[in-house]
Amino acid sequence: MNELQFLTWVRGPGLDIAVGIFVLGVVWRLFEIYSLGRKKDLSTPRHAAGASGLHTVFRRSLPPPGMLKRSPVSYIGGYIFHIGLAIVVFGFAPHILLVTNLTGLSWPGLPSQFVDLVAVVTMAAMVVVLVDRINKPAKRFLSTFEDWFTWAVTFLPVLTGWMAVQHLLLPYTTMLALHILSVEILLVVLPFTKLFHAFTLFGSRWYNGRANAQRGVPV
Amino acid sequence: MSLDAIPIHVIDPPSAEPGLSGNAPPLLRELSELAKRLLASGETSAIDLSALPLTPADLAWLQDTLGAGEISVSLQANGESTLNETACPGIWWVTHRNEQGAVTSQFIEVAFVPELVKAHPEDVKNGQEYLELLISDL
Amino acid sequence: MQGPLIDTLARQGITRRTFLKYCATLASMMALPPAAGRAMAEAMAAARRPSVIWLPFQECTGCTESITRSHSPTLEGMIFDMISLDYQETLMAAAGHQAEEARHAAMKENAGKYLLVVDGSIPLGRDGAYSCIGGRSNVDILKEAAEGAAAIVAMGSCASYGGIPKANPNPTGAVSVSDIVTNKPIVNIPGCPPIPVVMTGVLAHYLTFGSLPELDEKGRPKAFFGETIHDRCYRRPFYDQGKFAKTFDDEGARMGWCLFELGCKGPVTYNACATVKWNGGTSWPVESGHGCLGCSEPDFWDAGGFYKALSVPADPLRIGAAAAIAGAGAGVAVSFANRAKKNVARQTHETLTVEDLEK
Repeated sequence: MNELQFLTWVRGPGLDIAVGIFVLGVVWRLFEIYSLGRKKDLSTPRHAAGASGLHTVFRRSLPPPGMLKRSPVSYIGGYIFHIGLAIVVFGFAPHILLVTNLTGLSWPGLPSQFVDLVAVVTMAAMVVVLVDRINKPAKRFLSTFEDWFTWAVTFLPVLTGWMAVQHLLLPYTTMLALHILSVEILLVVLPFTKLFHAFTLFGSRWYNGRANAQRGVPV
Repeated sequence: MSLDAIPIHVIDPPSAEPGLSGNAPPLLRELSELAKRLLASGETSAIDLSALPLTPADLAWLQDTLGAGEISVSLQANGESTLNETACPGIWWVTHRNEQGAVTSQFIEVAFVPELVKAHPEDVKNGQEYLELLISDL
Repeated sequence: MQGPLIDTLARQGITRRTFLKYCATLASMMALPPAAGRAMAEAMAAARRPSVIWLPFQECTGCTESITRSHSPTLEGMIFDMISLDYQETLMAAAGHQAEEARHAAMKENAGKYLLVVDGSIPLGRDGAYSCIGGRSNVDILKEAAEGAAAIVAMGSCASYGGIPKANPNPTGAVSVSDIVTNKPIVNIPGCPPIPVVMTGVLAHYLTFGSLPELDEKGRPKAFFGETIHDRCYRRPFYDQGKFAKTFDDEGARMGWCLFELGCKGPVTYNACATVKWNGGTSWPVESGHGCLGCSEPDFWDAGGFYKALSVPADPLRIGAAAAIAGAGAGVAVSFANRAKKNVARQTHETLTVEDLEK
C-alpha cells in the first residue's frame, strides 16, 4: 500500500468505519445515561438566589474562589487548550469543508497562519498540562491509564495536522493520512472514554445544579 | 462569440510584491570571494539565481546595487540572451530568454570574459576555413 | 549520423552558443551547479548518439504525443531527434517484420549499452495475452529487451506505476515496469502525460554523466519531483488566506483563488508543472482554472474522485445511519437491563423486614 492508497483508505472506508463507531457509541451512551432516570425528590424545594441548573452550567466554567491561585495550570492551561482546539477544529478551512460535505453546514474559515499559531499554542498548553499532571504527586496518584491515553489521542491529531501543514518529518501525503487516522482513532475512543464529557458536560452540570437547587444550595 | 462575452475579471497583479527577503546582501560577500579567487587562480565561477530563494524585489535590489558597467553583450540564440558587465568589472549579469522573451535562467558569472562570449576553437577553425573559401572565390 | 552530437546539431543550424545556453538552462532546471552546465555541454557535444529502444505496451500514445509535439520547435525536441531512436512503433516508418528486425538489430549491436524507454503498463492476466505485439506478449518482450539495456526509463504513469490500466478492478492484471524488472536501474517519469523537459533532462544527464539522476524513493528524478504542486503553486497565497473558488465559474474562480475545494490534488502531488509549465511554458492546469488531478502519483485514478477536496470523504459514508440505529438499539437494550437491575435492587431492599433484622 503506497501513501496515496493509505490516504484514500483513511478518507474512504477508514472514515466510514470511524464515523460509524462514533455515531453508534454516542447514541448508545446518551440513551443509556438519560434513560437511567432518577427517583422523584419528594422534599419541598427550597428557593435560593442563584441556585438552578442553568446557573451551575455557567458557574462551573469559572474557577471557585481561590482555586485559580492554587491550581493555575489546570485552569489557564485547560482553557487555552480547549479554546485552541475549538479554533483549530472549526476554523481551519479544510475542516469546515469536511463538515460542509457531511452536514451541509458552512461558515467562513480563518487564515491558515493564524490557525497554525493557535495549533502551536494549543500543543504547548497540552504539554504544560501533562507535565503538571506528572509533577504534582496528587494528580499523578489520581491518574489512571485512561488519563494518559485520552491525552495522547487528543494531542496526536493536533500534532500530526500541524506537522502535515509544516511539512515536517514525513511527506505531506503520509502525514495527512496519519492525521486523518489519528482523528479516526479519537472518534472511535471518544464515546467510550472520559472524552465523552464533550457530550455530557452540560447535562451533568445541569443535573447537579438542579439537585442542589432543590435543597436551596447554589453550587 | 467574442472574448468580451466571457465574464473575466482582470485583476491587477498583487500590489504588495513580496519584499526583500534578506537573502540578497550575503551574495555580495560571496561575489567578492569569487572575484578574489578569479584574481588569484584565474578560476571562473557562476551563481545560479533561479536556484536561490530570491524574490523579484531581491533580484531588483541586487541588480540595482551591482549597477551597470561598460559592456553589454546581447546574443541571439534561440531567443535573446544578455550578458552585461556590472559596475564591478569581472562580475557579469547573464540572462537567458526563450523565443517568447520569457526568462529561462539567470546567472551572475565571475570571469574576465563570460564563457558564452568566447569563440570555441572548433568554431574559429570553421570560420577560418570559410575565409579560405571566400579567398579562393576572389 | 553517428558522429558527435555537436556536428549533428551544426548540420541542423544550431550553433554551439545556442547549445551552451540550452545546457545552462537545463542544468539550472535540474538544480545542478552552474559549472555542471558547461560540463554537460562539453560531454554532450562529444557524445555519440545513444541507441534508444522505445517499447509501447498498454498505453494511449499520449506520452509519445507529449514528447514529440510540445517542444517540437525547440532544442529539447531536436535533441530528442539526436538520440538514435531505433525502435518506436508510432514514429518509425518500418512496420511488421522490418520493425521487429530493426529492434533485434539494435539490441544486438548495442547490447548492454542501449537505453530502454517503456510507456504503458504490462498486463499479466491470462499469461499476458491482453496485449501482444507481433504475436508476443508485452511481458515477454519487456524481459527480453531489459536483458541488454543499460538503464530503463519508465515513461508516464502507466509504465511507472500501472496507471489507468491498473485502476480498480484492473481487468488485465496490469503492473508497472519495476514490478517485472528488478535488476536494472529504472527511472520513473510519471505523469499523464509526463513533462517533456523531464525526459530530455534525464537523457541529458545520462549522456553527460553516464548515469541516471538522483531518484526519490518512488524512482523519480528528485530535481523535478522534489516538491508538491501545492508548494510551488502561484495560487498558494489564496489557500493560506482561506480564499477558495467554490464552483468553476463563481467570483472566486474568476479572481483566480485556490482550487482546493474543487478537488485540486496539488497538496499530495509531486511534479514540476507549477514551475516548468506546459506547452513551452505557456500555462498549466491550475493556471487555466482546473485543479490538479494528481496524474503523476501512483493510483491517482482511484484516489477518491477528481472533484472531491482532499479533506472530504473519498466515498460517501454508508454505515452512519445504520450505526445510529444500532446505537439507539444498544442504548435502549442497556437501559432496559439497567432498569431491571434497579428493580431487582429495590425489591431486594423491600424484602428487608423487621423479622430479617431481628435474626
